[in-house]
Amino acid sequence: MTSLSRAVTDAKLLLTCGPGGVGKTTIAAALGVAAARAGRKTVVVTVDPARRLADALGLGKETATDEPHRVDRVTDRSEGGELWALMLDAEQTFDRLVRDQSPSKKQADAVLNNPVYQAISGSLSGAQEYMAIERLHQLHTSGEWDLIIVDTPPSRHAIDLLEAPDRLVGFLGHPVYRALTVGQRAFARVTDAAASMFLWAVKRLAGPQIVEDTVNFFRSLANIEGGLRKRAKEVSALLRDKDTCFVVVSSPRAEAVGEARHLLDALRAKNFPFGGLVVNLIHPLPEALTAEDAALLADLDDGPLAEQVAWHSELTTLATAERAELVSLEALAGDAPIVELPLLDHDIHDVPGLIDLSARLA
Amino acid sequence: MSADWLTRSNVVIVAGKGGVGSSTVAAAHALAAARQGVDVLFIAVDGRPGMGSLLGGREITDRTQMLQRNVASRGSGTIAARTIPAEQAFGDYLELKGVGGILRRAASAASLPMIAAATPGLEHLLVLGKIKELELDRAADLIIVDAPPAGHAAPFLRSASGLSDVVKSGPILDQAREVSEMLADSARCMALLVALPEETPITEAIELAGELGDEIGLALLPLVVNACWPDREGLAKTPAMAARSHKMKLSAEAKSALESAAAFGRSRLEQQRYQIERLRGERPEPVITLPRLTTPKIGPAELSALADALVEADPS
Repeated sequence: MTSLSRAVTDAKLLLTCGPGGVGKTTIAAALGVAAARAGRKTVVVTVDPARRLADALGLGKETATDEPHRVDRVTDRSEGGELWALMLDAEQTFDRLVRDQSPSKKQADAVLNNPVYQAISGSLSGAQEYMAIERLHQLHTSGEWDLIIVDTPPSRHAIDLLEAPDRLVGFLGHPVYRALTVGQRAFARVTDAAASMFLWAVKRLAGPQIVEDTVNFFRSLANIEGGLRKRAKEVSALLRDKDTCFVVVSSPRAEAVGEARHLLDALRAKNFPFGGLVVNLIHPLPEALTAEDAALLADLDDGPLAEQVAWHSELTTLATAERAELVSLEALAGDAPIVELPLLDHDIHDVPGLIDLSARLA
Repeated sequence: MSADWLTRSNVVIVAGKGGVGSSTVAAAHALAAARQGVDVLFIAVDGRPGMGSLLGGREITDRTQMLQRNVASRGSGTIAARTIPAEQAFGDYLELKGVGGILRRAASAASLPMIAAATPGLEHLLVLGKIKELELDRAADLIIVDAPPAGHAAPFLRSASGLSDVVKSGPILDQAREVSEMLADSARCMALLVALPEETPITEAIELAGELGDEIGLALLPLVVNACWPDREGLAKTPAMAARSHKMKLSAEAKSALESAAAFGRSRLEQQRYQIERLRGERPEPVITLPRLTTPKIGPAELSALADALVEADPS
């Protein structure tokens, strides 16, 4: 099978993942276009789109908000589908999560106003990955969308994203965290050895103010802990739902192929539903020279024809080697659809370009 | 041709967005410098597999290992390499500060995630702090840092200034100050930015240069545009016209085969020229181009070719 049309027409959640620099965001947007043109109300959540693609999606710096934004001129009126886009804002998503999970506004404010919270909500390692999934969950439960597409953050270990909910639970289960948040003991009376050493270490290293902020942060977080755990569990189940679909995007470069291979293994090992493989940026394979012509052109003097022959040979070598790299990757895709896309002369940064690409994908 | 820019500072931080080959360029820089007789320490912040064998030795670990000796000539030019895991940087840091056993245990690897959660950017800062210590100890003539890829290079380097927003006192703040000092001193530290001759990578390189150079105050070495096709003027002609200047006549099949490659080459070269010009127009730093290698996999032979290209490059 060489089309992602089933993923686009049947899935309710679609996540594109893969190494950096392979055009993942463009593919996610084009899949959104394909779904909208198939009549579905679709939203694409992007993380860090290149500026011109962001402009095409109506996500320019001035207009970017955390709320979905309608993309015009994607569908004919007869098709009935819609494409919306939004740029992930990890901080706003984190804030919304805290507000949703807090029993009261006061408790929510206690977390939101804490300086430690404010510093980590945008920058905590893994926060962006987790918030991409959290935002997906928020959109999913709103019931407004036929299909939600999430372009996952670029990550050396793309698998981080999938483990983000479990990491949050791990954090909440950490002995130091537990000791600091059990009961309402004053800081001075924290008796747990590990926790008091932890606080001492933080104090020695970073000063007394941050200790107070940290303890307050952990304690205020305790009020919403139940909600956070429940949410992490729901998200974890949602990612494995039968209507969820992971699309792995790679390029034929050896490094990218290596990362994509790890990702495919991990998806399978952890039971995430794999929906297809896109290999992007493939160099074209020139037509071969006949043996006779090749012999004739083998020993030319310097000149334009010699350059043409050298170029033909280099491009053939590269394109052939790329195809060899892909064999192992495509074997790992099993029965899932595989789409191969050529390296284009220019980046795609307008809606007509996305419409062309969507036709190749689905 | 002099390539003394390769060894101009004690530390070179090599950075680029994902997929542009910045790790490979970092390794080529290490090799080119060692060939000039310099002792190089290659630090792979992320510890990507395969880099050690690319540099002619064993897999890179968290201990400094010699990968190659006598790179330049007998007795001169070495390449050593290591990674710096955050937990190890933390332990070393505590030891350096004379922090006693109890605190070290308290702050052991198990607690680092908690302490790091309370102190954003701390892990990055600890790694940079360790690099700064190695630089002050003159652990090598030249330290090459293969910085984290994807969107993470700027947050990594910004950790020192960012931390001072939350941490108001204590040794961590001192550490942040000392790292900031190193980053701002061009005799001690410079950055080498890597891009590809394509639209998005060039745009991102311009942005990254702005962030690192103008905001963080890192001095920038020449900007490297990696994987450039050689400029072949002969491609501008049709295969038939090209053949005429060799006084040859091509078969229809040969014309078609050559044209199928040339058509792609013309548009690539045009795009490449345009993007490199755009980079030159937007940034004051000189630009260096490295050749595209016709293999998707880089091995020691390809690395050697890239190191030659770095030495021969004429920053302009």
